Amino acid sequence: MSKSRVFSLHTSLSLRKILERRKSREALEALLLISVATGLNIVFGYFAAFFAFYLSFFKWDYISPMEFVGLRNYQIIFNDLWKGINGAYYFLAPFYTGLKNILLYTAIVVPTQTILAMILAAFANQKIRGVQFYKVSYFLPAVTSPVIIALIFIWLFMKNGFINYMIQMIVPSFAPDWINDRNYLLYAISMVAIWGTSGHFMVSFLAAMQSISRDVYEAAMLDGAGPIRRFIYITVPLLKPMIVYVVVLGMIGALQMFDLAWVMAGSNGGPGGAGYTMALDIYNEAFINLRPGVAAAKSMFLFVLIFTSTYIFQKKYKVMRQ
Amino acid sequence: MKYYKALEKTVSILIIAVILIAAVAAVIWYTTQQQVPEASPSPTTIIKTETQVQTQTQVQTETQTTIVEKMFIRFAGWSAGETEMKNYQRIISLFEQTNPNIAVKYEVITQMFHENILASYGAGVAPDVFYLDTSWAPIFIDKGALYPISDLVSQDFINQFYDFLLEPFKGPDDKLYGLPKDWSMLMLFYNKKLFEQAGLSSPPDTWDELVRYAEIIANKTGKPGLAIYLGGFNRYMPVALSNGASKPWFDDPSDASWFDNPVVKDTMAWYINLYKEGKIERENKGLTPYAVAPQDVGAGWLGDAFGKQEVAMVISGNWMIPFLADQYPDFKFGEDWDIAPVPRGSQGRVTMVYTVALAINAKTEHPDAATKFVEFVLGPEGQKELVVKMGHTLPSVRSLANDPDMWPQHKKSLLFQYDQYQIFLWGPKTGELESKISDVMASAMRGEIGIDEALEAMKQVVQQVLSE
Repeated sequence: MSKSRVFSLHTSLSLRKILERRKSREALEALLLISVATGLNIVFGYFAAFFAFYLSFFKWDYISPMEFVGLRNYQIIFNDLWKGINGAYYFLAPFYTGLKNILLYTAIVVPTQTILAMILAAFANQKIRGVQFYKVSYFLPAVTSPVIIALIFIWLFMKNGFINYMIQMIVPSFAPDWINDRNYLLYAISMVAIWGTSGHFMVSFLAAMQSISRDVYEAAMLDGAGPIRRFIYITVPLLKPMIVYVVVLGMIGALQMFDLAWVMAGSNGGPGGAGYTMALDIYNEAFINLRPGVAAAKSMFLFVLIFTSTYIFQKKYKVMRQ
Repeated sequence: MKYYKALEKTVSILIIAVILIAAVAAVIWYTTQQQVPEASPSPTTIIKTETQVQTQTQVQTETQTTIVEKMFIRFAGWSAGETEMKNYQRIISLFEQTNPNIAVKYEVITQMFHENILASYGAGVAPDVFYLDTSWAPIFIDKGALYPISDLVSQDFINQFYDFLLEPFKGPDDKLYGLPKDWSMLMLFYNKKLFEQAGLSSPPDTWDELVRYAEIIANKTGKPGLAIYLGGFNRYMPVALSNGASKPWFDDPSDASWFDNPVVKDTMAWYINLYKEGKIERENKGLTPYAVAPQDVGAGWLGDAFGKQEVAMVISGNWMIPFLADQYPDFKFGEDWDIAPVPRGSQGRVTMVYTVALAINAKTEHPDAATKFVEFVLGPEGQKELVVKMGHTLPSVRSLANDPDMWPQHKKSLLFQYDQYQIFLWGPKTGELESKISDVMASAMRGEIGIDEALEAMKQVVQQVLSE
């Protein structure tokens, strides 16, 4: 073994040592950096969630000691659903009403906001003058408080408000009382939600679109594909992972909607309970009916609903990574 | 690279420092918690630590000769605006001057007050003295959350209050668990100018006249005669009681039979029809509605609709008086609008009464200090400042009824004669029942369900709420 070889072996060993030490230090630093966020998440996220699960088996009124009731809180939920299915009035089956409304709301909002966000992103991705202005104006609702947005829309949706004024230019006889008519309330809330969230998801789509290679479009152009065909056959398929992401996030947001309903319909869900949601019902159960145990059980139901629906969707449409 | 390394080093040191500080703080906090006999944080722990700190500072800054053990009590209320908060702060400092060994911490909870208080009981940090609405009183009394205030104050002090205001705060043991801080009652507000335009010289005296006048006003002035809320079980109550219905009390599912009473059925139908016939059917015929909801005339609530002069009459409480004075200063009491008693029915005249008490936490460490404070705030001197001069509500002690500082509108409302004062309290679940029965009423008023269906649904609501 030559001297130089021994030397080089030695240096490489010590180098590796240094590298390893560096790695463990990096790991330590990484742990330290995430410790604050993780700590907060454990206390306010996981602890709260597990406590809610625990609470769902107890009867409690905030003051007296907690009393274990087994599955009685869940039985109350299923009684409510059963009554609702058998056609009870909305105020006698509030949880069923909330569930029915929120499913309809999700079915309206999620597809619409996803498609709209994609179209807006396609426009924002063009090289046209003032595109920055459009991007900012689309995104603006995403940084505005939903409560403020809802308050402004209540005003726009009034019977003699701006929205009916615009509609009457096209359909003169159509002037619904959006907020006070149970047939229109949920649609009014959905429109506000779509308006408020499309801009946010547009940014996600825009980022994904900008990562699509220009070559693909150029090849398609040479083959004679027009802009609409290019959008349908190139942009949309290549955006699939982002679509899944947007739909999943949209579903999570829509199923637990609270703020818009609270402001636009009120805590009782407005006329005919048309704006009543599961989140409103959970709130009322906890703070009006003073049954935090039942509220916790209802929130477990909502969690299972959100978890399974998003899981199934992801599983079905997940893009296999090569 | 060198710069990066230096930066990395600084960041690491900073993070470690922050964590160390946090750890030390946690240890200190933990050990101070351990010093108190109870392990869980309770209101008493907080009071205790504050007391210690205060004693120390007093020793340092003041004379060093006497050490006064200062007691801290926490007082929580909601606020009817900045003026009220300032007035309370003034009264508190006055109280602290006369009672140098007691300090009061005033905590204003602006939103969802009782929910917050309940949650603070859950967390063991409830205030010593707090506001208590009648509709929440049974919940707090039932759970043993309140100190029996009648054990602490003299009978002479209690005798100063209107008897009917004490009723809702009585426990099953006949002890008092709260003392009313002020009160309001319903009355009829009417717009004199619109009455004049319609050729009417006096306010309606009976329920039938109320509808007739509302219709005349709508026909002659083109403005709705009356505004009511969609729903509002408590606003319907005077109609039922003044026509002979029994006082409602929902404690058991079988109490739903109250809705089987023919008087209740008739009066409920009448009330629902006020809107169904007065708004919906009138509009279908192309006529001006004679009864509307505030939102129908672009108003947020009855006071707003009346102040904007969009309607000629509303039945509302004393709280509307300062609102009108503040928001519509050109719309003058006496010249433009006036008040009258709530219309009477076949069996007399009934009004609704709304009151809020001051209650003492059952777990307070300083019941005597809390009592002193309650006596100071609720006594004639305290109420003169906080209630009479403020002009928001009526004083709960009888001796102030003729106080020269009382607003003329409030004074007039106190002169109205009623056969019955019904307190806003329908049983242990008043809040939930009020909200759900009102929902059913609103649904019927909008014509979504029939009146018989609505009455049946109200019974089901009572049965469901009380059986769960």
